[in-house]
Amino acid sequence: MMEDLSKLSTWEQFTYYFRENGMYVLEQFMSHFFISVYGVLLAALIGIPLGIFIAKTSKLATPVMALANIIQTIPALALMAMLMLVFGLGKTTVIVTVFLYSLLPIIKNTYTGILSIDKSLTDAGRGMGMTRKQVLYMIELPLSLSIIITGIRIALVVAIGITAIGAFIGAGGLGDIIIRGTNATDGTAIILAGAIPTALMAVIVDVILGWLERRFDPQKKQQRLEKMI
Amino acid sequence: MKRIFLLLMATVLCFAGCSSSQESNTDNIVIANIVTTESQILSYMLKYLIEYYTDEEVELINNLGSSMVLHQAMINGDANISALRYTGTDLTGPLQEAPMKDSVETLAFVQKAFNERFNQTFFDSYGFENTYAFMVSKEMAQKHNLTKISDLQSIASTLQAGVDTSWMNREGDGYKAFTEAYAFDFKRTYPMQIGLVYDAVQAGEVDVVLGYTTDGRIASYDLTVLEDDLNFFPPYDASMMATNELLEAKPHIKPIMSLLVGKISTEKMQELNYLSDNNLMEPAVVAENFLIEHNYFSEEVGDQ
Repeated sequence: MMEDLSKLSTWEQFTYYFRENGMYVLEQFMSHFFISVYGVLLAALIGIPLGIFIAKTSKLATPVMALANIIQTIPALALMAMLMLVFGLGKTTVIVTVFLYSLLPIIKNTYTGILSIDKSLTDAGRGMGMTRKQVLYMIELPLSLSIIITGIRIALVVAIGITAIGAFIGAGGLGDIIIRGTNATDGTAIILAGAIPTALMAVIVDVILGWLERRFDPQKKQQRLEKMI
Repeated sequence: MKRIFLLLMATVLCFAGCSSSQESNTDNIVIANIVTTESQILSYMLKYLIEYYTDEEVELINNLGSSMVLHQAMINGDANISALRYTGTDLTGPLQEAPMKDSVETLAFVQKAFNERFNQTFFDSYGFENTYAFMVSKEMAQKHNLTKISDLQSIASTLQAGVDTSWMNREGDGYKAFTEAYAFDFKRTYPMQIGLVYDAVQAGEVDVVLGYTTDGRIASYDLTVLEDDLNFFPPYDASMMATNELLEAKPHIKPIMSLLVGKISTEKMQELNYLSDNNLMEPAVVAENFLIEHNYFSEEVGDQ
């Protein structure tokens, strides 16, 4: 039972680690993923309406953006330490931190997306007798959806990195494995076992959301339609 | 646009609601632990046991920096179970008392004090303690017939000792106090990082080292731990702890936690630490294997 693993190469140790702890890593992977997703979803829930709102009332755009920018400048660990005083240790604090960090890219992209729409299109809609609500749902949102998804994509990739730091305040996730690796006698393999899945998660999310983004890009959609004809 | 504002407000309120639910913390069982391997192994054991015998969901808060932070988390209501506390640490830390020498007395005192001052239950020991101890290689022990620290006295003037850097200058139970209590001095002492002492004595670079009693390398290097016959080092018996609030709200938890009391010897803890530190197994996996191996997931134990 007491086999000596120190003679194995890092790569062999790495594969051995996954054989022994595969299920555990999967569990932490899922928990890591959901913490990030919950934070970003909450941010989308608030950020998208807020982005639309400031795009319509140009006076508010500057202060709201400034505020979101300021949040972004606070280092993640410091923000977490401050939020910890209110939300305590554990997952809640990390979700709130992710939420705050995700606000800027989501608000900014929604705002830009709505503003970048050709004014003649909304005017045409209005001219056809659409209500403001109809213009929003039938013209503005579909046309800016791709840019909004870009915002969510940026937010989620950043969120995965922030969640890794969340292990320091007891939220679990793949960061836990990395911290354990730094404490173990010869922990390179354990650090890799935490770091590689984290990076992989970020890449996968990036690819999937990137695909969605292209799918909803109005120009590409137009091209697809033309091809069909 | 008013509607958007309302939605905003509702979400913010919802958030506030989430956070305030943490105040009365008897709904969720939250186990906190410090950054050491043994602390994490034990919290997974508790988690799996509680989840096996009840329908409760158990949350873990890992990697807290020190036992003081752990204590604060318990006081703030962030956690309601500590997986691992040491009597000696808690006596001088949260309780702010002078160190005591007797292990039974210390445990009794700490249990009483935590109950009275913080309304927390300090359980009886798991059965192991993690304190400083002098260790020598097995050959060395046989050659000089060493079993306790006093045996070193006659040969101490020829011995080179490897010790923890922080121990050298420590008040109370540091090197200076040690030389006074045992009335001998080593030929030379090499302060080093605690993780290195085991390898140093194994490789024969030093003759005797001061290490932690639960480190897995003691078993794997077959080191002989010398008995502290003058009771110089304060006792650091390991126990779990829970808030009385939780134990009263969920009376079925206490018997489940007690299943582990007295069940893990120092040798066993060394072995479990070794599995995790040197054999690359996650504390969660080590804990689960231990519980399965010792039949904790069978009816007989559950009925006790």
